[in-house]
Amino acid sequence: MPDIWEIGTIVSKLMLYVGIGGSTGLVIIRATFSDLVSPLGDGMRVHAALLAGLALVASVLGFMLQGAALTGEAAGMTDPEMLGLLWQTSVGDVFVFRFIATMLIIIGAFMPQLGQWIALVGGILGLWSFTQIGHVPGLEATGARLLLLLHLLCFAFWVGVLGPLRALSRQTEHLGNAAELGHRFGQAASVIVPLLILAGLLMAWMLLGDMWALTTTGYGQTLLFKLALVGAVLALATANKLRFVPAMQAGDSKAARRLVRSIEIETVVILMVLATTAALTSVLTPPN
Amino acid sequence: MKNLTSIGLISMLATSAFAHSKMETTTPENGATIADVPSMITFSFTDDIRLTKVNMIHQDAPSVMLDLGEQTHFDRAFALPLQSMGEGTYRIEWRGLGADGHAMQGEFTFTVD
Repeated sequence: MPDIWEIGTIVSKLMLYVGIGGSTGLVIIRATFSDLVSPLGDGMRVHAALLAGLALVASVLGFMLQGAALTGEAAGMTDPEMLGLLWQTSVGDVFVFRFIATMLIIIGAFMPQLGQWIALVGGILGLWSFTQIGHVPGLEATGARLLLLLHLLCFAFWVGVLGPLRALSRQTEHLGNAAELGHRFGQAASVIVPLLILAGLLMAWMLLGDMWALTTTGYGQTLLFKLALVGAVLALATANKLRFVPAMQAGDSKAARRLVRSIEIETVVILMVLATTAALTSVLTPPN
Repeated sequence: MKNLTSIGLISMLATSAFAHSKMETTTPENGATIADVPSMITFSFTDDIRLTKVNMIHQDAPSVMLDLGEQTHFDRAFALPLQSMGEGTYRIEWRGLGADGHAMQGEFTFTVD
């Protein structure tokens, strides 16, 4: 059983994934579909900044929880020796990268013109920080790090569209924008989602070593659970692309309400995927 | 949805592969019964780690923190002096930082009889 510090680490990792993935995704979607999301005004910038703030809090909390995990006591969260030890390792380096990344997103969110590019640099730096520490970087293969970065960029693009698409679909006067955003995102997703899954499967193969490990190890079983959840998200996304978005393009406002509901369910399942990933990356050891 | 979540959580929490405890060998061995209290205990790991805390628990006595001495650097093998508490079961709990940045923990027991 994981102890209280490991459970805390899983929670802080989940907050970090939501914060960096969500804020970077919003920045990417705003830059890619600026004409379609313009009715949302400053809402996207504020949400991106709030999510970056969540990532910053999660980074600080995660760093302190690592200190507690090293001693097994709450006092470890502020123990100068433990925090100093972490600071001198790659844990400290990654903390600095994430601090800079989240600050760039927050600053960029409130700057006109150039701001979105500053935020984009921050978002990519935040995603890149995940390639510096953990199981996949531990494989010590440059290809594995690039696969992880590709996986994270595709993930950010996917989750970044959920909020704006839901917000536009809830407003009847912007049904056209919502339908067009859903349509154009669907076209991009037909390339991005297979890339996301392929990169994920390749990394899983590297970490597992062989297929039997999927059923014979705790890591493999948890990965199978994640794959089942991803399958559920894909089923929802397929329904969005093939049923609700075409109906919205034809002016069906009921389809927009169904899309909103589908996005809400999709978000819950994605949160479960992220929680499972946090367990995989925090407390479970890959067989390979 | 609730059932799916429950299955996932049970699968994750029931596993024995938690916590990156890639400890390779210990002296005395985990579960061993020996005649005399060893003056030293040793650990070896598959990867470099930095030990941060080692506790000894003898029977129902309060936990005693072992002195890491100079062994406060990343290494694969560690040897720590052990204070004799007489016969009975000794449980050694350790914590450390893995070279991959993960906090690690584990334990082993032996009996002096």
